[in-house]
Formats: sequence, C-alpha cells, structure tokens
Amino acid sequence: MKSLVIALICCLGFTSQGQNNFEKGMAKAFNLWQSGNMGAAEQLFERIADAETEEWLPSYYVAQINSIKSWAEKDAQTLNAQLNKAQNYLDLAKAIEPNNPEIFVMQAHIYTNWVVFDGATYGMKYSTKINDLYNSAYKLAPNNPRVVYNKAEWDMGTAKFFGKDTKPFCKDFAKAIELFATFKPASDFHPNWGKERALQVLADCK
Amino acid sequence: MKTLCIIILTLIPFSTFSQIEITGVVLDSKNHPVEGANIYIEGSYDGATSTETGAFKFQTSETGIQTLIVSFLSFETYQQTADITAFSNMTIKLRENVNALDAVVISAGTFEAGDASKISVLKPLDVVTTASALGDYVGAIQTLPGTTTVAEDGRLFVRGGDAGETQIFIDGIRVFTPYTPTTNNIPTRGRYSPFLFDGISFSTGGYSAEFGQALSSVLLLNTINEPDQNKTDIGIMSVGGSLGHTKKWEKRSLSVNGSYINLAPYVALFPDRNDWERPFNGGSGEAVFRQKFNSGLLKLYTAFESGGFAVTQEDINVPEGVYFKLKNNNLYFNGSYRGMLTDNWSIFGGLSYTHAKNKFKRLSDNIIDAENAIHAKFKLKRRFNNRLKVQAGAEYFSTDFNEQFESFMSERLSYGFKNNISAVFTEADVVFSKKFALKGGVRFEYSELFKQSTVSPRLSLAYKTSNNSQVSLAYGHFYQNPDNNILKFNQDLNAQKTTHYILNYQLNRDGQIFRAEAFYKDYKSLVKYDTEFADFTSNYNNQGFAYAQGIDLFWRDNSSVKNIDYWISYSFLDSERNYLNYPEAATPNFANTHNLSIVGKYWIEKWKSQVGVSYNFASGRTYTDPNRDGFLNLKTKSFNNLSLNWAYLVTPQKILYLSVNNVLGFNNINGYQYANIPDANGNFTSRALKPAADQFFFIGFFWTISEKGTDNQLNNL
Repeated sequence: MKSLVIALICCLGFTSQGQNNFEKGMAKAFNLWQSGNMGAAEQLFERIADAETEEWLPSYYVAQINSIKSWAEKDAQTLNAQLNKAQNYLDLAKAIEPNNPEIFVMQAHIYTNWVVFDGATYGMKYSTKINDLYNSAYKLAPNNPRVVYNKAEWDMGTAKFFGKDTKPFCKDFAKAIELFATFKPASDFHPNWGKERALQVLADCK
Repeated sequence: MKTLCIIILTLIPFSTFSQIEITGVVLDSKNHPVEGANIYIEGSYDGATSTETGAFKFQTSETGIQTLIVSFLSFETYQQTADITAFSNMTIKLRENVNALDAVVISAGTFEAGDASKISVLKPLDVVTTASALGDYVGAIQTLPGTTTVAEDGRLFVRGGDAGETQIFIDGIRVFTPYTPTTNNIPTRGRYSPFLFDGISFSTGGYSAEFGQALSSVLLLNTINEPDQNKTDIGIMSVGGSLGHTKKWEKRSLSVNGSYINLAPYVALFPDRNDWERPFNGGSGEAVFRQKFNSGLLKLYTAFESGGFAVTQEDINVPEGVYFKLKNNNLYFNGSYRGMLTDNWSIFGGLSYTHAKNKFKRLSDNIIDAENAIHAKFKLKRRFNNRLKVQAGAEYFSTDFNEQFESFMSERLSYGFKNNISAVFTEADVVFSKKFALKGGVRFEYSELFKQSTVSPRLSLAYKTSNNSQVSLAYGHFYQNPDNNILKFNQDLNAQKTTHYILNYQLNRDGQIFRAEAFYKDYKSLVKYDTEFADFTSNYNNQGFAYAQGIDLFWRDNSSVKNIDYWISYSFLDSERNYLNYPEAATPNFANTHNLSIVGKYWIEKWKSQVGVSYNFASGRTYTDPNRDGFLNLKTKSFNNLSLNWAYLVTPQKILYLSVNNVLGFNNINGYQYANIPDANGNFTSRALKPAADQFFFIGFFWTISEKGTDNQLNNL
C-alpha cells in the first residue's frame, strides 16, 4: 500500500510559469507532500479547499491523505476520525463533481478502509457499495487506468476470499499499465497516481 | 470582488505586500499544547501547523476584518473574527469534540445493534447467525441480559415484566401486533424479516420520553434506508419458500417479498406431541418503497400476512384433548418521513395502521376478534450546537377493539372498546464535556378512555470514569394502559405504572465489551380481578403492585481468539407481584431467578463456513401445586438448550443454512397442569407441560441473483 503513496508522489508534476494563486497553492502543497511532509500538505489542501469552493481537487487530496494515513493507524479512535474526515472532504468534492470516476474510486477506497478496519461491522454494509462504485466508475471511464486497476484489485480480493482463481484479473492489470502510458490528466493537479501499484500487482501475477 | 483580488494577487509578486505576522499558541482544555493543529485565515492560503509546544507563526498579506480558524482532528473547530492585527500572541484553547468516538454515551438500560451507534453490542448480522434464534430477531435479543426464558411463549419478557410490557417500534412508529398469534405451548415468532433492519436498539428500562405505553421495555427497529442494488432473492427452506425482488432507481427504490410457510411436511416427518389436524401454514407479502428528497427520506412499508392452524392438544381435564383452530389476517402499514428543515432543525413525521383479525375456535367456543389501530407521531428537533440538542413532539394512539363470542351455552355476544391516547413529549440532550452527558425529558399523556392524565419525567446521566469505562444512571416513570384482554371486559380502570432506577457500568476495549447493570423497578396500579379468568362478572381494580430487582452482566469478545466471536449474558432477577387473579404476592411463572446465555461463532476460512453455538440455561419457574398450601408454591427443574448452526457459502451468491435446536435433547419442562378435581385419594393429578417437540431442525438454501452478479450471500452471513 505504501507504494501507492510513492507512485502518487512520483507522478506529480507541475509547471512554474503563468500560475495563478490556486495553482501556486496546489504546487506548494504537492511540494510539501513530495518532500515527505504529508501533514503540512494536508493542511494546505484544507486551506485551499476552504478558500476555493468551486475546486474539487484540494478536497479530494485531503480525503486521499486521510485515507492513506489510516492504513498505518493502529488506534481505533484516530482511525475513525481520519476516515470520517476523509469522508467529509470527499463529500465536498462530490458536491462540486457529482459524477467524477476519480471521486468514485476514492470513495471506494474509503469504504474499503472501513471494511479492512472492521469486517464484521462494515463488510456487509460496504462491500456491495464498493462494487457499485467501481461498476459506475467503469461505465463512465472504461479507459481510466485507476478505475481499471482498482476495480480489478477489489474483484481479485473478492475472488481470493471465495477461493476462486485470481489469474483472470491479471490481464486487467496489464491493460491498466497500457492505459497509464497514454493517460493524460486534465491538469498537473488532477489525479495521476497508481501506476507503481498496478505494476507491483502485475509482477505478483507472474 | 474575490476574483478581482485573485487577479491582482497573481499580477503582483507577494513580496510587495506589507505582511502581518500571526502568532500564538494552541492548547487543550487542560492547557496541554496541541501539536499539528491547522491555523489559517479563512479564505486565504495563509496558515501554519502548530509545533510540539503548540506554538504557531505565519505571515499573511490579508488586511482588515478576517476570520482565524484553528482545526484539528477530534477537537471542535475554533473560529474568531476580528481585525487582522488582533491575531498576534494569541492563546487558543480548543474544545474537545464531544461527538468523537471516545466521548461518553448514555448507555443505562440500552443495548444497541448496528454500526450507527458508537458502542454496539450486537452486529446487524447477529440476528441471523445466532444459533438459537432460527432467524427470528426476537430470538437473537433473547440472548441478551435482562430477558427471561419463557420457552413456550416466544415473546420478550424483560426484567420481571410480562410480554405485554415490551413495545416494538419500526422506524419510531409503534407495531401493535408484532407477533404471529399462536396457542398454548407453541412459541410465537416476530412477524418481520430480520433482513429488513439495519439497526436495532433494545432498551431494558429508563428509555427516552419519546416512547410511552410500555412499562418495561422498548425494542426499536430501523429499516434499511437504501438497498444496494437490483436483485432477486430466492429462498428454499425445509418449512417453505420465499421470493423477493428489489428494483432501484436513482432517487427511489422498491422491494417486494413474498413467502409461504407450511409445517405439514416437517410435522409428517418428525411428529410432535400435538395432534395436528392442519399444521401451521400461511403466506405473507411485504413491500417497501423509499424515496429520497434533497434533504429527507420517505419510507413506506406494508406487510400482509394470513395464516392459521388446527390442533388437538393434550389436557388433563379433557381426556379427548382440546381442539383449537386459528385463522389470522394481519395488515400493517408504516409510513415515515425524516428530513432536515435547515442545518439545525430536523423534522420527523410518521403514521402506522394495523388491521388484525383472528378467528379462534376452542372446543365449542367461537371467538372472532378484530383490532384496528393507528399511531401518528410528529417530532421536531433543534440542534443548537454539538453540546445541546432539544426535541419536542406529539403523538396519538388509537385502538378500536371488538370481539364476538359464541358458544352453545350463550347467544352471540359482541363487545369491545376504543382506547385513544394523546401524548406530548420534550427532551434535551446536554453534553457538558467529553466525560459528562445528560438526557432529560418529560412526557404527558391523556387517555380518553379513562379520562386520566399522566406525567412521566425521565432522566439519564453518563460519566466517563476512564478512557474505556463509564458509569450511567437512569430514572423514569412509565405508564401503560391495561391490555386488550382486560379492557374488552372493563374500561373503568386507570393506567398501570412503573418507576425504574438503573445503575450501569460499561467497559469498552478493542473488540471487547463488558457491561454490568443493577436495577430496581417498582410497579403500582396493576390491574387485579377476583375470578379465575378475566370476564364480565369479575370485579376489577387497580390495586395490584410488584417489584423487580436484579443484576445483568454482559461480556462480548471478538478479538482474543482469531475467527472466534462470542458473548455471555447473565441475569439475576428477584421479582414478586400481586396482580390479575393472584391471591397474594408471588414470583410470577415468567420470572426465572437465573438466566445464562452463551453464544459463539467460529469462521472456518478453509470451508467458507460459519459455525455457531448457543447455550441457554434458566433456573426453574414457579407453578402452583394444589396438593400443597400456597400459591405458585413450587418451581420446575431448570431449563437447558444447546443449539448449533452451520452456514456454508457454496458460491458468493448461494448459501446453505443448517440449524438444530436442543442438540443434546434436554427434556425441558415449562410447568405443570393439575386436574381440576382431586382423585379418589384426594390428590390432584398432574401433567408436565413439555415443548411440542424437544428438537427442531431447519435447512435452508438462499440464492441471490443480481444484474451485476456482484451482490452476494456474504451479506447474509
């Protein structure tokens, strides 16, 4: 899971010319994140989200950072607060962009974290919702590499649970890798993470 | 204006602005520094993170009146609006967020199931995976402390109260006939499918002023707000079958479900102690419609059930046995709307209608009773802040009951009553700190039948004694009108009353819960009559009284042993009452002194199976032996039951259930029936009242077909 963070950071890039205030702020936040200061990056994203009520990206990254933080969290109360915070910020992003496949994927991640945290309580509640989210995202953006590989990873987990063959999903990871090669994010700040993780799973397939 | 600002800002380099430095320190309520708080000027990107010492410092180019915001996980967000120059050398005290997971919860008397609550004792799945419950939500709740074991009845008996003292609500609206009617020694079941609900709250006393007309207990069931997806469910069981379909649109959804139960094949294979002319058979249909609005949710639920049976049961006074036939029709409608009016005002409105008709034939008597009942409720809630919430509401209960009685000895008689009750209630939730919370309310009721007004104060407090433990107290007055079996003969009575005193301790660690609760319950104005059975010739009064006191213990652990989840409930109960036809105060036959339940579940990964075990022990129950002096003068031997179940996931969409009740075949005795007349030696002969069958088997196969092929039976595990 850590590789996802690295993948995310590696894929970040931004230009320094002709930036407006929003772009400067976002660039600074990504800089902080890349330099390992995830907390400071999170807080800057929060400030930008608070100031720019028409932009979904800062809220999206606050949600992602909290979702990532929860993976390493051992304390149930902190984990709860992190996932709730991730949800609150993703809700803000959703209000701006109700049908964005990137947001669907992030929502599925947050739910997956709840399931991993306490399967007995949240497994029943969220597993079908996660399926729905990936299916809807796939319907909207069948060529988005993040949609393709996250969906495949979830389906693979389900198959594994039921003792089914997970090999059929390997081709989806291969497809995702191809898609990553041609994927062009809408801007330097739009989501462009996940290639590392997809490569890693594909490597495990062989 | 804002865009203009941004344009100007982007054109001019930052450095040309005169910058102001914002400085200060962030502390918690105990003056400890808070590290990692986010301090910033609202609407700008200027801000900083507090350091180890809580200190912060940053430059801003903003001017004039601005809002400073300080936010941090698990604290309430701090805001201050002032001229920017005022924000230097500040000392900011963050208040703890009282909504946080580790904050105190009012827990006296109440067991929560479902993830909506902070501390849930049962998970939603437990209702269907508890071995002894056989898929009945009432059966799962009977494994919690505070309930007593009355195996031949099947209803909920709570803390020395009889079954009528517990009321059941669906989405906050009363269910007037929650159980399928039955006869002597054949336990009933809850009418509604456990798959309908995603939250259950079971209160064994001291509940909110919102709920009335219940002396002992309320069981609150909440239906699912939004189904997952379009799907068809097929169930094939050893006792019948079911078929359901759910269709989902963007803002609305509809689920319909039909089932048919027929016990005839089962009874033919495993004959029991009853002589069945027609074993139980019946059909039921349910439909749920949900519509989402921008800021609210409308739910409409309708259920229809029709069923019956005919049986001849052994009776010591009737050598050829007692013939009993029943036909029941039940229609229930429940509609509710819940929504937000503004950010701080929320509204709830709901209505239920029940039409129940029973036709009985007992020996040569023919009885037909019909009940039409309505419950309407309206509630407004105002949230002032995280620490103060106030709600107020009004409700109306109307019951119209009519019975026709016909026998060879009498003409057809028709009698009944109308029992209408109006009520208003208000309640405040006050959270003083993360450690201390209070809920206080009052309920006012007026009974049209008795022309009687009652006022019931309710109060509960909770105090956190450590990070994981808390103590709660609850106190309240509870009124309930006598039930249909009394009111149909006499309406010149008053409401019955209880007063509850509850002291609760709760310890909650990761995956472990321990609860201990002591209670005292005082009953007044219980109905009494002076004949063996209640009828028109009896003299009725409200001079009955009772008490119940005891201790309930609960322990659940799902973390110590991998893949094993278990809970243990123990209740000690001391209760005596003098009501109905009792000649003196005595321990009623539904109050066991000791009750113990152990429920365990083991998930076997390799076999994709969950194995469940439940063991139930109850000490003996009282009965009257006319050969001796006194009333309720003896006790039966104790009750034992060990049940097993097995759930096997054949594929993600198919599941196979197998359960066996009373695996070890304990010979349980629920009581004794004595002859009315002594034999030649002057002895009253007796007959043990045994369950119709010592054991019960259940096999079921459930299959979910969904469009996407993704929904699965794992949900039903």
